[in-house]
Amino acid sequence: MSFLEKIGHFETNLSKSFTDIFFFAGIVLLRMFRRKTYSSAMRSVLVNQIYFTSVQILPVFIAVSIIFGSLLIGIVFQLLKGLGLTGFFGNVLMGLIVTELSPFFTVLLITLRSGSAINTEIAVMKVNSEIKTLETFRIDVIDYLLVPRVINGVVSLVLLSSLFSVVLMFSGILFSKIIFGISIDAYINILLNSANFSDIVIALVKCAVFGFFITLIPIRFGLRASHELTSIPIAVSGGMVNVFTAIMIIEVLSLITKLF
Amino acid sequence: MSLSREFKVGLFIVLTAIVILLSLLYLAYEKGFFEKVFTFTLSSKSGDGFTEGMPVVFSGFNIGKVHALELNDKGIVLIRIKIPERHVKWVKKDSTFILYRPLIGASRIIVITNNLYSPQLPEDKIPEVEIVNDINDVITKVPPLIEKITLIADNLETLSKNLANPKGDFNRILNSVTKVTDNLDNILKKVDKIADKTDAQLFSKDGTLPQINNILKDIIGKLEKLNTTVDNINKISQDASEGMKDFRTLRSDIDDTVNAIDDVVNKLDDLISSKKDPEFKAP
Repeated sequence: MSFLEKIGHFETNLSKSFTDIFFFAGIVLLRMFRRKTYSSAMRSVLVNQIYFTSVQILPVFIAVSIIFGSLLIGIVFQLLKGLGLTGFFGNVLMGLIVTELSPFFTVLLITLRSGSAINTEIAVMKVNSEIKTLETFRIDVIDYLLVPRVINGVVSLVLLSSLFSVVLMFSGILFSKIIFGISIDAYINILLNSANFSDIVIALVKCAVFGFFITLIPIRFGLRASHELTSIPIAVSGGMVNVFTAIMIIEVLSLITKLF
Repeated sequence: MSLSREFKVGLFIVLTAIVILLSLLYLAYEKGFFEKVFTFTLSSKSGDGFTEGMPVVFSGFNIGKVHALELNDKGIVLIRIKIPERHVKWVKKDSTFILYRPLIGASRIIVITNNLYSPQLPEDKIPEVEIVNDINDVITKVPPLIEKITLIADNLETLSKNLANPKGDFNRILNSVTKVTDNLDNILKKVDKIADKTDAQLFSKDGTLPQINNILKDIIGKLEKLNTTVDNINKISQDASEGMKDFRTLRSDIDDTVNAIDDVVNKLDDLISSKKDPEFKAP
C-alpha cells in the first residue's frame, strides 16, 4: 500500500467512524425525546446508572474538588498577584476556572471512572452474547441499555460540574481573603461583574455535550467488539482514545462559540 | 435506617438542581434581569472603540452596558446604553460620558457625575461622549521617542566608528593621554628624586632636622638655667614685697611720729603765741 493510499485509507476510516458516531448519536438522541423509551425498566437502569456515576462517588468527588480546586485557585491567585493582574481575578475565576476548568476536570474524572466502565461493560455483554439474548427477548437494547447510560452521562456531568464550580467559588472566598485581603461582599461583587450568562449557558451546554459523548462513544466502541475475548481491550482502548479526541474537539468548539 | 437508592439519586438531583437554579436566579437578579431598564442615547463623531455589550461604569462599578450602536443620517454615531432602575440615580443631566480605551484591558464608558442632586438625564437628551484614548496617546508619543532613539543610535554609531578609526578623535585623545601619562611618569620620577634628596638633607646625620634638634636641646638647657634665675628673681620679688610691707609699717610709724611732732609744734605754737615774751628756751 502506497503512502497516498494509506492516507486515503485513514481518511476513509475517519470519515466512516465520524459518520457512524453521528448517525448513532442521532438515533440515541431521538430515543431520548421519545416518551415510550422511559419504561419502568429503563428508569430503574437510569437510577442505578446515576447512583453509580454520581451519588456513589460524591464524597470523593467533593473532597477532590475541595483539595484540587483550592490548590488551583491558590496558585492562580498568587500568580495574578505576582503579575500585578489583581484586577482581572474575577474574570479569571469566572472565565477560566468556572466555565472552562470545572467541566474539563469533571469530564476527565467521569470518563476515567464511568466511560471506561461502560465501554468494558458493553464489550463484555457483546462478547457474552447478552445483547443478542436481550434482542431475542425483544427487549430494545437502545432503550434499555444505551439511553439510560447516555442520559446519566448528561445529568451527571452537568450536576457534578456545577457542584465543582460551587466548591471553587467557596474556595475563592477563602483565598481572596488570604491573598488579596478582599471581603466577601467585594468578592461577590467582583464575581457578579465578571459573570456572563452566555458563558454560564455555554458551560452548561458544553457539560451536557461532554456527558452525551463520553458515554455514547464508549457504548458505540463496546458494541463493535466481536465474539472473542481479545476484542474487549481493543474496543476499550479504541473507545477511550476516541472519547479523549471528542473531549478536545468539544473544548475547541466551545471556545470558538465563545468568540462569537 | 438505610435510604433507598432511588431516594439518594432523587435527593442528589433535586439538591444540586436547586443549587444551580438558585445561583442562576441570584445572578439574574443581581444582573438586573428582573428590573426595569432605562435606555439613554449618547452620541459620538466616531464609532471607533465602541462595541455592543461594552460596560458603562460609575466610580469603578458597572452600572449598565451598551445595548446598540447606530449611525444616524448626519453621520453621527448613536450609542444606546441600558441602565437598570437601581443605577439610574447616577446618570444626571450634567453627567459627563467618557469613552476610556486603556492600553491593557477592555474599553468602557465612564460616567462622571459631579452634582448628584441635579435632575435625571432625560431619555430624549443625547449627550456627546468624550474620548480618552490611551492607545492613541501612546501612539502619538511614540514617534518623537523613536526619533530620539534613532538619534541616540546614530550618535552611538558615530562614536563606535570613531572608536574603531585609529586616526579618529577618540584614539587621538587616547594617544595624547598616553603621552601625558608618560610625561607625568617622568615628572613623578623627578619628584621622587627630589624627595630623596630632601629626605637626605632633612634626616641625614648632618641634616637640618638633627641640627635643629641639637639647637633645641641647647635652648632647653639654657631655658633650664633661666628657670633658676627666674626663681631667684621671684624670691627677690617676694622679699621686696615683704620689705614693702615693713616699709608700709615704718611709714605708718613715721606718719604717727610726724603727726605727734605736728601736735607738739602746734602746742608750742600756742604756747608761744600766748606769752608776751616769745622767747623760748629749748631744753
